[in-house]
Amino acid sequence: MFDALLNTASLALTNAVGDAQTWLFVTLVQPLLYQFHFMDMDDLAYDGTLWVVAGAVQVAVIYLILRPLEAVRPLEHWADRKAVRVDVIYTLINRLGLVGLVFFLVLQPAFDNLQAWLRLYGMVNLNLDELLPHMRTHALLGFVIYLVVLDFAGYWYHRWQHQIQWWWELHAVHHSQRQLSLWSDDRNHLLDDALQQAFFAALALLIGVPPGQFVALTLMGGALQSLQHANIRMRFGPWGERLLVSPRFHRLHHAIGYGHELGHQNNARLYGCNFGVLFPWWDMLFRSADFSTPPQPVGIRDQLPPPQGRGVDYGRGFWAQQGLGLRRMVRRLMPPRSLGAGSNSGDAAGV
Amino acid sequence: MRRQFLKAAASAALAPALARAIPAWAAGLPPDVVVVLNSGDATISLIEQSTRRVVQTFPVGKEPHHLMATPDNKLLIVANAVGNDLVFLNPISGQPEGTRAGIEDPYQIGFSPDKQWFLTNCLRLNRVDLYRYLGGRSLQLVKRMPLDALPSHMAFTADSAIAFISLQQTNEVAALHLPTQTLLWTLKVGETPAGVWLTPQDQTLLVALTGADAVMAVDWRNRQVVKRIVTGRAAHNFRSMADGRHVLVSNRVADSISILDMQALSKVGDITGLRPGPDDMELSADRRWLWTTFRFDRTVGVIDLQARKLVDVIEVGKSPHGIYFYDRAPFYDNLSPAQQAHVPRAA
Repeated sequence: MFDALLNTASLALTNAVGDAQTWLFVTLVQPLLYQFHFMDMDDLAYDGTLWVVAGAVQVAVIYLILRPLEAVRPLEHWADRKAVRVDVIYTLINRLGLVGLVFFLVLQPAFDNLQAWLRLYGMVNLNLDELLPHMRTHALLGFVIYLVVLDFAGYWYHRWQHQIQWWWELHAVHHSQRQLSLWSDDRNHLLDDALQQAFFAALALLIGVPPGQFVALTLMGGALQSLQHANIRMRFGPWGERLLVSPRFHRLHHAIGYGHELGHQNNARLYGCNFGVLFPWWDMLFRSADFSTPPQPVGIRDQLPPPQGRGVDYGRGFWAQQGLGLRRMVRRLMPPRSLGAGSNSGDAAGV
Repeated sequence: MRRQFLKAAASAALAPALARAIPAWAAGLPPDVVVVLNSGDATISLIEQSTRRVVQTFPVGKEPHHLMATPDNKLLIVANAVGNDLVFLNPISGQPEGTRAGIEDPYQIGFSPDKQWFLTNCLRLNRVDLYRYLGGRSLQLVKRMPLDALPSHMAFTADSAIAFISLQQTNEVAALHLPTQTLLWTLKVGETPAGVWLTPQDQTLLVALTGADAVMAVDWRNRQVVKRIVTGRAAHNFRSMADGRHVLVSNRVADSISILDMQALSKVGDITGLRPGPDDMELSADRRWLWTTFRFDRTVGVIDLQARKLVDVIEVGKSPHGIYFYDRAPFYDNLSPAQQAHVPRAA
């Protein structure tokens, strides 16, 4: 009974998304392609339209579920939500496909040329479904395997974001939010977004993730990460928390003095804790997990006014955050003699 | 198997009403299936022709775009562009019979009329791979020819000397000389060329412009565009009407199919009121029913060519592209009946 209902709902949602994709493509996208002489991208644009439609549905569903929970069971009580507004912009830019569009226009041709060149000289992809043919006939099995592989890569990618100094300066845009909410997941520097897109697209291509499944994987990952950042008093229980990254687990990653700062536990080596994207298993395996510390204030230490911090400005608006992030990164990349005092963020790799 | 199929076909011809009421496979006969490639879902939909119902959907591989039968008509080849493999089906029942891995980016495929060559257009990798066809499922890679950019459709001259390849990004058609495996020439034809088609006796090369509303008629021997035939927006792919004179061309933005006179090099009619993105087409042996995939509608349509009207729409998977059925009208206009028997169409 439940299965039948679930299947019916899933089919209805798929059809509704498909209908919306067709409508948007036929009404707006394809006429523009035709008018402006981009018809060689016709098929790719049709696929791209799905990202926009599915992203809009995802944002709506996330908002309808998580926002009431934030209102009813907040972990932190804020005087107002002004600081959250900019994160809404980040979310819309990211999940409605603008970042993807830039990636598609700028990086995709380079990707295609690189792949063509590698193939011509006999360097082929490592398609997982060639090693495990059952993945082709059992879509769910394939989905789970791709999810685990991408999540494992995501764990290490995330650690590098904290460990590599210039990269941390970009990633600090994400960590500079002191009011974590359902909108915070996409608060990233655009350059960081582009790097992330390129990394995961290359990996997906290398292991042969089917394009349709890549959309589903991205949507599912995005929804769970929105939940992780939500301002909700929610626990998954001792077992659930070890199965899936919970809001409590991820909030500790954002915590001042714990998640991305030297000095906590073994963080002198790891530059933080709880790096897992969807599964905490990798943190448990590589000894970077912290399940015990209670919730702490979030942000970056040097944002705090003296004497706790240095009152460093990470920007309030979108452009200020982007500009300051870029400036911090450039300073990190410049020779040490040109570094001015207090020019870099004080946490993680910046210390 | 073949005899059973003929029995089923005879029954359907004698008693169409009965055939519609009782699905062929329910009566213990092999289904007269239409094979549809859902390129966006990585699946195949099998539609029973007589009832026009989807009777089976199964996974086939990543991005199956085009399909065609082997020269002996014993196997149907599905080319998985992103899967980098070929899947072999029974051409009558549509059931899988094996896979050939290691065929890189086979977006479009084609056999030369002399059955010596099997070509794959690698759209994503910007090259054409030439395989020697050794019969059955045996292919031997002979040459990889880089060809910028976006090689998409192909057509062969009847003597198998030349393969014409449309290049969607550079707005050209390339002529490959098969005996020497060399590029003879390229010719600018217009925006985003897709389908390429040779008229009877290889007289004229027709090139459908998906970036425009026209088919270009090319005197390929003199490398000259001789006429621009206005069709509908985003002319895309061809299918013979098997009458020696007319060819159909699908228009992906106009949502129509134009009928061209290959002698007069002019448009003589349109089939309008279709669903979004008509693409590949297949014609019944009696020349009455035209099946077409609607790329952006997740459906397949059946058009009554007598009435020039869409009479049935069948829901399939995402981004349906190639379509095939066994009992069909001859596909090519430039090949003799004997060659047609051995060289089924490229969808």
